[in-house]
Amino acid sequence: MNLRPPTPEFAEGASTWPGDLDRREFLRMMAASAALAGATGCARPARGLAPFVAQPAGPLPGTKVYFATAMLQEGFGRGILVESHEGRPTKIEGNPEHSESLGATDAITQAAILGLYDPDRSVAPLRGAELAAWTDFEEAWIARAALLSPRSGSGLALLTEPTTSPTLLRGIGRLLEKFPEAIWCQHTPLARYDLDGSQEDLAPGAASVIFSIGSDFLCSHPAALRYAREFTASRRQPAGAPSTPRLYALESSWSLTGSMADERLARSPERIRRLLDALSELFASGVLSGAGRSNPAAAQNGLELAETQFVEALARELTGSGTRALVVAGPEQPDEIRRWARAMNGRLGADGHTLRYVAPVRSDRAKGCRGDLGTFLDALASGKITDAVILGTNPGYTAGARQRAELARGLSSAAFSLHVGAYADESAALCQWHLPESHFLECWSDALGYDGSALIQQPLIEPMHLTRSAAEIIGFLATAEARPSLEWVRETWSARMPAHDFDDRWRGWLNRGVIDPFPASEPVSRRPADSLSKLAGHAPETDASDSNSFTLLFRADPHLADGRWANNGWLQELPQPFTSLVWDQALLISPEDASRIGLSDGSVVVVEVESRSLRIPVWSVPGHAGGCAVLFLGGGRSRAGSVGTGRGADAYYLRTPAAAWESARATVRPTGEIKELTSTQHHFRMEGRSPVRVVYGDAGIRANPSTDSPARAASLYPEWPGSRPAWGMSIDLASCLGCSACVIACQAENNTPVVGPEQVARGREMHWIRIDRYFEEISGRTVALSQPVPCMHCENAPCELVCPVGATVHSQEGLNEMVYNRCVGTRYCSNNCPYKVRRFNFFDFRTPSGSPLHLQENPDVTVRARGVMEKCSYCVQRIEEVRIVAEREKRPIGRGEIRTACQQACPAEAIVFGDISDPQSLVSQRKRMPGDYALLGELNTRPRTTYLPKVFRPAHVLTLAASPV
Amino acid sequence: MPQPHPQNSGPSPKHRLFSPGATSAFRLGIILALLLTGGGAGAVFAFYHSPWWTREGFAPNQPVLFSHRHHAGELRIDCRFCHTGVESSAFAGLPSTETCLTCHSQIFTDTAMLRPVVRSAETGLPLRWKPVTNLPGYVYFNHSIHIAKGVGCTTCHGDIGTMALTAKGERLDMRWCLDCHRDPGTHLSPREDLYAASWRPTANARSRPAALMRAYEIHSAHLTDCVTCHR
Repeated sequence: MNLRPPTPEFAEGASTWPGDLDRREFLRMMAASAALAGATGCARPARGLAPFVAQPAGPLPGTKVYFATAMLQEGFGRGILVESHEGRPTKIEGNPEHSESLGATDAITQAAILGLYDPDRSVAPLRGAELAAWTDFEEAWIARAALLSPRSGSGLALLTEPTTSPTLLRGIGRLLEKFPEAIWCQHTPLARYDLDGSQEDLAPGAASVIFSIGSDFLCSHPAALRYAREFTASRRQPAGAPSTPRLYALESSWSLTGSMADERLARSPERIRRLLDALSELFASGVLSGAGRSNPAAAQNGLELAETQFVEALARELTGSGTRALVVAGPEQPDEIRRWARAMNGRLGADGHTLRYVAPVRSDRAKGCRGDLGTFLDALASGKITDAVILGTNPGYTAGARQRAELARGLSSAAFSLHVGAYADESAALCQWHLPESHFLECWSDALGYDGSALIQQPLIEPMHLTRSAAEIIGFLATAEARPSLEWVRETWSARMPAHDFDDRWRGWLNRGVIDPFPASEPVSRRPADSLSKLAGHAPETDASDSNSFTLLFRADPHLADGRWANNGWLQELPQPFTSLVWDQALLISPEDASRIGLSDGSVVVVEVESRSLRIPVWSVPGHAGGCAVLFLGGGRSRAGSVGTGRGADAYYLRTPAAAWESARATVRPTGEIKELTSTQHHFRMEGRSPVRVVYGDAGIRANPSTDSPARAASLYPEWPGSRPAWGMSIDLASCLGCSACVIACQAENNTPVVGPEQVARGREMHWIRIDRYFEEISGRTVALSQPVPCMHCENAPCELVCPVGATVHSQEGLNEMVYNRCVGTRYCSNNCPYKVRRFNFFDFRTPSGSPLHLQENPDVTVRARGVMEKCSYCVQRIEEVRIVAEREKRPIGRGEIRTACQQACPAEAIVFGDISDPQSLVSQRKRMPGDYALLGELNTRPRTTYLPKVFRPAHVLTLAASPV
Repeated sequence: MPQPHPQNSGPSPKHRLFSPGATSAFRLGIILALLLTGGGAGAVFAFYHSPWWTREGFAPNQPVLFSHRHHAGELRIDCRFCHTGVESSAFAGLPSTETCLTCHSQIFTDTAMLRPVVRSAETGLPLRWKPVTNLPGYVYFNHSIHIAKGVGCTTCHGDIGTMALTAKGERLDMRWCLDCHRDPGTHLSPREDLYAASWRPTANARSRPAALMRAYEIHSAHLTDCVTCHR
């Protein structure tokens, strides 16, 4: 994509000295360069103005317009609004009308716009490695269908991804109707959200205590945006409010949800089972009914003191909360733990209060589906399959080592094999035919959200290449007719929701993006069993005698997911949570294990599982459980594209269907090699300086007076005159999840370039907002802290004083302006910035001319050239846009009318921007809250961006036990 | 020891390094060099601010010999009939071929002058006009707010009602913009004259800048912030 080493701006050799350069020659060249330097601006760009021949009705040139549509992630739909400038989509925002977005987005949704313009996308059908026409494929399929029809489709196998799209499922249904003997299987390498015929939908805002077992329901879940909004909103209530949920987390490695937990224990998977059993015993023994003291039975259970305390406090709070308790087990957890969590919820009476069970929304167990990838491969191996179709999934990469071999063997023996996908990926290489699938912004479709809400996916742009949508292709396979996807989608919904005024309602749905009214998911009546079965012994224990033996945990990559986003430069360059690694993947282990085996960060190890081995560098993370290691999926792709190919390590190679998420008895052996991993942060401790202030314990919230906000230190410089409006920002660290949605939102809005791993390694990343991460020991426990850091827009801005050319100056309204065409690149401002938020274009990082990626650029923001400093502008283009509209309409700028890109994306509403001269504005209210502080406020820079402290509300009993007496 | 010369302490004429006029020539040279440098700088400055460089009055040949004098000046067709976006968009907009044909499907249909328009309608290929006013890419100019705040068309585009071939009416450099952003009052038009096709900085308007500033609710404090125009 737009990753490349800084492009050779000059001819090769132009910047190397000739060997025999003498002084005179040097001076002559310098004089010539100086004389010619001014000549570069001489030519006037030749431009033409081409008006429409027939101007379409609708928005005028020069204005932007938003369309409501939908995006699928893991098969679940999320409502989005897409900004379009003169017909080209430039940015994705959340759709406030959709219950699974509520106006927010996550990092992947923000980055999905880049995929539309990815030059590596598949552009035309391929037969083998040769380009082919669609008509070629159509003829080929009609010939195959003529052979399949007489035998009712026997010999046809279809592999798809589980989806919620009613139209796509209808298309598959049509195919199965025509070929009843065909085999339909579904494959996803990621988590399944259904269990025993139902999926659970949480209401974390209604809970007063939440127990998360290895779950990341706040950040990586199809309903995470809704959960995060509910959870953080109830956490922001004033102290002592009845329902401020306390979050307990028991997990092996850090999840962002775990970093929000008030009480967290990091334990290996085996140990987690022991602890859950101890919890079961406490419930069974009934000692919790009385307000008893510490239970001696638990202490004899072989648990450590910290574990006993955790379990007891948790048990007491869970019983105390009753129906307002909530136990969540992550979908990656083994089924017995997920059932245990369900049983616990049943016992507590939480069903119907803090969670409900609904019929699965996704098609994992759809009627007609014969099974998963294993079934598909068995059918292929049986030799009865003559025609194999793989639609929208990439088993050639996401299957385990043995399954990949089986797939390659099976497909090579099939008479006809077809892959449909947006990229000619690993699976396409195994098939005879590859058909390019349209991007979701190019075609009609539909989707259901996790809560069952229905969405219409409408295109913003005609397909840029010779692509078709999945619904069109499956429709063609079923009917041998090439019908446009709009017809398919309209047909689905006119049949589902017939009405005489269907056209009007259809337009209404398109306008809002949401199909409304639409029946929400039916609750399932069948309640799960509430017997707490014993868990220990289910899992094979690691070999305790071998110090190199680990339990290996597979997890979806936080940004690349199952690897499908590997070719997205924004996501590759987005620092990963807890490690800040970019452009690579590492095996995460605990620092204790690392020092035990003698590994440092970047030491390359060989991970071996059942005689398959993988070389990967390790990275130690404080607060990681001992005895287990985390391996992220999504790396090591061989045919991802120019950006993603070969980045990271191929974890699927070690994965088997039986041990999809947890593999005991993995061995980790050092090789002695060191790989330079690129992390954007080099130190993860605060060293007593408290850039993140932490309030630990309920009592502390009020008792922590803001030390520097009211009483300002004296300054030699005059006070910044009060203006109306005066822009400012407040970032609530107690709400911030650290999910990085803001970082990508900013990148998409402000034309921030991707610079590549070599440049990041030199500290030249360009993000205007970054997430700083720290690990701290508080009361004997490791906590992880996340802090978004944009430009602070200091009133006493140190950068402004040192600029020799006045390229960074203050505006009347308190913005620290950056004027690109004045900047000469001295970088004094960056040196003098205590927050290190200024970014410099060391090279020409602009997208090469002619690349389709230019179409993504926001026309309201300058694309910066080489040698220019840049930084967060508080999204000044949005301020000016709203101001112009407001002044045109002769009204003041509305409260909260201007939202910065980071604020708009944030699911937790942690970032608030607005007018601090208006005491009623949300930002003023936030800034008045106790604990409001300025980052490095002691420097008297008087930043306009201030923070609210991180708040932990540990269980009372644990605080007492842990505090030194 | 050699004796010093009795009359002249300098070297003898035979051994003199410089001729008697050298000092004068040198002084003259210095003055000339200074004049040349200053003159050169002055010439560059003058050129930079001259109409040759700013292209004030520059009227490129257009694919269609369209006359604002005829359409806007004589026929008094409102500016907004063709430039539809001027009140609501950053970009004032150019008329589509169909807009031209609103009238010209009836009149002057087969004239040579109109042939490019007819051909555009037939082929579906747009007309390609040559821009008269080119702002640099880092200037974010918005037509709608200027119209809303009382900056009339002719304030920036010149006496468009008299232009047979459209020419650049004003310098449109940053200093020219700032002259108005620093002191908008004297450059405003009364609302009824916003779209007047001929340039008239009427004595009437000039005499009451404060009243116009009030009428248009202009808050000028932020007008000279860099980010007002550069983002």
